[in-house]
Amino acid sequence: MLKLILRRLVQMVLIMAVSSLLLFAIFDTPEFKKRLAVQELGGFAVSALTEESYKSWLAGRGLDVPFHQRYLNWVGNILSGDFGFSYEKNRPVGPLLADRLANTGILAFFVFALMIPLSLILGILAGMKEGSLQDRSISFISVFTTSIPEIASAILLTVIFALGLGWLPVKSAMIGGFSFRELVLPVLTLVIYDFGYVARMTRASMAEVMTSQYIRTAILKGLPYRRVVMRHALRNALIAPFTLIVLQLNWLLSGVVVVEVFFEYNGFGKLLLEAALFPDVEVVQACTLVAVAVAVLSQIISDIGYTFLNPRIRFA
Amino acid sequence: MAVTEIQSGPSLLDRLSRPKPVIALALLLWLPLTAYVMFGHRLGSGAQNVLLPAIPATVLLYVLGVRAFRESRVAVIGLTLVFFWLLMAVSAPYLPLMDPNKPIAPFTTPFTERGDLFFWLGTDFKGRDMLSRMIWGCQRVLVWGVTATMVAYVVGAMFGLISGYLAGWWDEIISFVANVLLSFPVMVLFIVILNYLGPSGFNIVVAVTFASAPAIMRIVRGLALDIKTRDYVYAAQTRGEHPLYIMIFELLPNVRGPIIVDACLRLGYTTVAITTLTFLGLGLQPPDPDWGLMIRESARTAMLWKFSYMLLVPALAVSSLILGFNLLADGLREMSLRD
Amino acid sequence: MSTNKTTNTMHPKVREAQEQMDSGRLSRREFVRYAALLGVGAGAAYAMAGLPSPAIAQDAANLPFPADDPNAKAGGILKVAMQVQKIDDPATFSWTQASNQTRHMLEYLAMTGPDNVTRPMLAERWEASEDLKTWTFHLRKGVKWHNGDDFTAEDVKFNFERWTDPDLGSSNIGLSSVSAMVEEVDGKKRLIDGAIEVIDEHTIRFNLTKPVLSFPEDMYNYPTAIVHRGFKPPLDNVINGTGAYTIAENVVGDRCILKKVTEAGGQPFEYWGGTVFLDEIHYYNFDADNQLTAFAGESVDAIYDFGVEQMELAKALDGEIIAARTAQTLCCRMRVDAAPFNDERVRKAVTMAIDNAAIKPLVYPEGGDVGENYHVAPVHPDYEALPPLTRDVEGAKALLAEAGHPNGITITIDIGNTDGPWHQTAAEAMRDQLKDAGITLNINVIPASKYWEIWTKTPFGATAWTHRPLGTMVMSLGYRTGVPWNESGFASAEFDAALDEAEATLDVETRKGLLAKASKILQDASVMVLPIWRPVYTMASKSVHGYPAHPTQYHQFNKVWMS
Repeated sequence: MLKLILRRLVQMVLIMAVSSLLLFAIFDTPEFKKRLAVQELGGFAVSALTEESYKSWLAGRGLDVPFHQRYLNWVGNILSGDFGFSYEKNRPVGPLLADRLANTGILAFFVFALMIPLSLILGILAGMKEGSLQDRSISFISVFTTSIPEIASAILLTVIFALGLGWLPVKSAMIGGFSFRELVLPVLTLVIYDFGYVARMTRASMAEVMTSQYIRTAILKGLPYRRVVMRHALRNALIAPFTLIVLQLNWLLSGVVVVEVFFEYNGFGKLLLEAALFPDVEVVQACTLVAVAVAVLSQIISDIGYTFLNPRIRFA
Repeated sequence: MAVTEIQSGPSLLDRLSRPKPVIALALLLWLPLTAYVMFGHRLGSGAQNVLLPAIPATVLLYVLGVRAFRESRVAVIGLTLVFFWLLMAVSAPYLPLMDPNKPIAPFTTPFTERGDLFFWLGTDFKGRDMLSRMIWGCQRVLVWGVTATMVAYVVGAMFGLISGYLAGWWDEIISFVANVLLSFPVMVLFIVILNYLGPSGFNIVVAVTFASAPAIMRIVRGLALDIKTRDYVYAAQTRGEHPLYIMIFELLPNVRGPIIVDACLRLGYTTVAITTLTFLGLGLQPPDPDWGLMIRESARTAMLWKFSYMLLVPALAVSSLILGFNLLADGLREMSLRD
Repeated sequence: MSTNKTTNTMHPKVREAQEQMDSGRLSRREFVRYAALLGVGAGAAYAMAGLPSPAIAQDAANLPFPADDPNAKAGGILKVAMQVQKIDDPATFSWTQASNQTRHMLEYLAMTGPDNVTRPMLAERWEASEDLKTWTFHLRKGVKWHNGDDFTAEDVKFNFERWTDPDLGSSNIGLSSVSAMVEEVDGKKRLIDGAIEVIDEHTIRFNLTKPVLSFPEDMYNYPTAIVHRGFKPPLDNVINGTGAYTIAENVVGDRCILKKVTEAGGQPFEYWGGTVFLDEIHYYNFDADNQLTAFAGESVDAIYDFGVEQMELAKALDGEIIAARTAQTLCCRMRVDAAPFNDERVRKAVTMAIDNAAIKPLVYPEGGDVGENYHVAPVHPDYEALPPLTRDVEGAKALLAEAGHPNGITITIDIGNTDGPWHQTAAEAMRDQLKDAGITLNINVIPASKYWEIWTKTPFGATAWTHRPLGTMVMSLGYRTGVPWNESGFASAEFDAALDEAEATLDVETRKGLLAKASKILQDASVMVLPIWRPVYTMASKSVHGYPAHPTQYHQFNKVWMS
């Protein structure tokens, strides 16, 4: 087990190294540098620059050295805890990223707090009696909600609750400080898109368990149905959903981009998009590192959880 | 085929249901549509008629599909949704619609008459007819979405076969690259790639390939690992066939079944991705209509109850198409489990 | 300053202008503008013109701001949605937004009001020599820096020295006034010795190498904010200014908070500009697309601007829509050295087939002016209307045939939408009109940042040009032979000569005629389709009073109050 975790971690570091080198190479093109100059100096000004003053601008930004050298510097800085500097936001990347991750963390917390109970309960209810009306309607609802892309559900929710009924604010920029009311729509949007998937997986897992030999035996032995479900079926049925839920963390980092942009919520996703478009290389780098770390760590957690929950699996 | 049916002989529809005619029909539907959307401006005056043969092909395919999937109601509903949009896509030039790019009367609400024109779904901020934009918009979404998925499948399946069948170093390298790509959240990958290549339909194809091919490769690799131990593969190896031949003619046909369901789901994802990317400004570019673009423009100009139709029309359109793909996938899975 | 005294030291040209006005050649309003430009207090100028002094001219204190509203209530926080940018060094600002963030802390020598009249601000008045080559600025006394120092001529000198330092890379060096103080030695620009003379603590004189008319106007260009003589970037480390407010917090991409200054260097701070009403000014970061929706959600009281495509949304909201007439425009210019536009007949066919007057209402149904394919706007004081353009489709076809395209021609325009999606709307309207003359226009939409990479190079491109107070200014920046921003490659000695003459002429009537001559040369060369002079729209809630509409969107909130 430990060996597996170690292997994964080594792989993670390797992936981080490869991907950040690639990103440095990508953002090293003359077009990107030009674009950065346009962002900073304005379009008119850049085209009026002489070759020489453009070069000195590059030098001032530290962009005149080959990218591999910048990469090595950057790696050195990362190892000493310095994530670089954001051109666009004019502040160190570390605190900036921490702020934005905290905001996304709040969002994610409420999404999971709502999505986990909802999807597990629905999934179990559906899986208990496969093929029943209850099962079919829950299944249909979950296919239906999963089919509405986040951008569409964000629009539907905004139109109904913000524009129509006027109960909730349209945007979630939170300029007056943290506000629960502004958090509702982004959270709901993410939950609506995501719960259906987890519910379906829970249903499948539950249905499989319910048809297994030992549950049938238990029921035939005359044990109360409720007890069979609660004591025996649930534990086994929840193994698969557990791993899935942990992996949703990885999905969430993608999913938040459009939601945060639509609702103007200042989180990780919006930061990433803005940085990529700017192009704010070191912010993109830091965001990517975080994303890769979350992806790999959630994978590890789900593996560990799977092992501990399922006595039939033991890693060598 | 049962003996009793011999007397009457297979009906026309039965004969068409075989793989070859179906593929031919699909091509007849797909090629003109793709040519029209991707290279329409180069076709010149011929562009007007290029979609004509696609209309009967679409209808025929739909009839065949309904016959084939009749045991699953879910699949039929999904198929109907998907083919509704396909039919709209191929027949858009021949429908009595207004020019989707022509500004007429800005901010006309649905079901109102302006002059002698009736606007079923109103007009947008520039005064362009929403109904017409919605119907024309599905062309780009469908063409780019399906093309991107297909390319991702070709690439993914190819690497999957190589990795699964040849194993060894090939497998190590391909799997590592796939792992690298898979450990990026999809959106990060999209943003980085499209930002680098620039926003356009062709680059969306590239980005979707990078994002989807690794997962497809894993599925195909798993299937290939399983299949390569079968007798007929051994037989081919003993015959001294080239690995390339074995991969294409022995392995590929046998992994086809399981990946069709996955393909339907993935079509849904790709449609979501294209719409979302276009909304974020990284995808298809104006002025031609596209659902993501309509959302992007309306989100800026119509954030008001009385204009909310501008947001709802493209949102509902894209949701119905994705629902179609997902129901189809669901129905297919259901049927495959029954067999 | 009394009217009497003003008249004594008055520039001879003011007399001349007054005579012109009296004889009816110069409108009263234009006279006010010119007199103010030449150092006559605006109030005095209004008096000389026999016009009722508007709310703005408070001549007793010679303040550039509007008069205090008698109903005004002190207090309150004004929240404005705008991009919040980096403000490291005011001399290198690239965007108006950044200057708005500092505008209430760092002030300018002059101030151009919403009425396009430039008035003294940190300067009390100025005088120009007859040849317009020597300018003397008398600085306002009693202006204090927030650290307690007095504002003196040394501060002004320090700023000019910074701007002319080529290593700083300030765009101010390109202003006609500042560029007339530098010489080029070994390919490097540097300040000429003796160009700046400090006469006494509150008087400074500039000796220029060429006549410059727009010196005061240049002094309200957004990167010419006056910083303290001890300034070292970044600004965040040396927060200091002469304004009524100071920056308490600036987080790029998030917020910029300004608070009223109450003490300077241990003493209570008394602002030279009189009463200000707001306690705090807050800028919150919203990109251009989202400002109006933020306003709709009542997160903010006012916004920086909104695009015409959002007009219906704005109208439906509870608030006041404020429109300013400007010289901001979209210049669809053809490179005269790139095929097929190197053939003048092709360019002419394009301009002839387009009806600018029909495009404007499609793009800006409200406000704005129709453009006439040369770069001087009706809002410019030196604008003179040329004979109206008429659309001639048949003529365009004939020209095309003559140029060897009897079956029409296909051309492509690059659109970057750098100033919003209306660029594309304009191009689409052009496309529909060009079709009639057999010209197929392909519209190539590219991202704004990409457009700025090619704006001078593309054969046919739509470039956004910002407002400049005088008509001669853009003509000189964009169309003189070989200047860096000459995006069309237009080169005409005749045009250059006409422009030179116009730029050295103060007399408005003559000047108008001379500029019109240059304009006609440019128009006849069919270098561009310039369909529209756009208005700028902004919006403020009903509780905000006195929110100004400035043609260049410069914020000046000293007299704004909230109810």
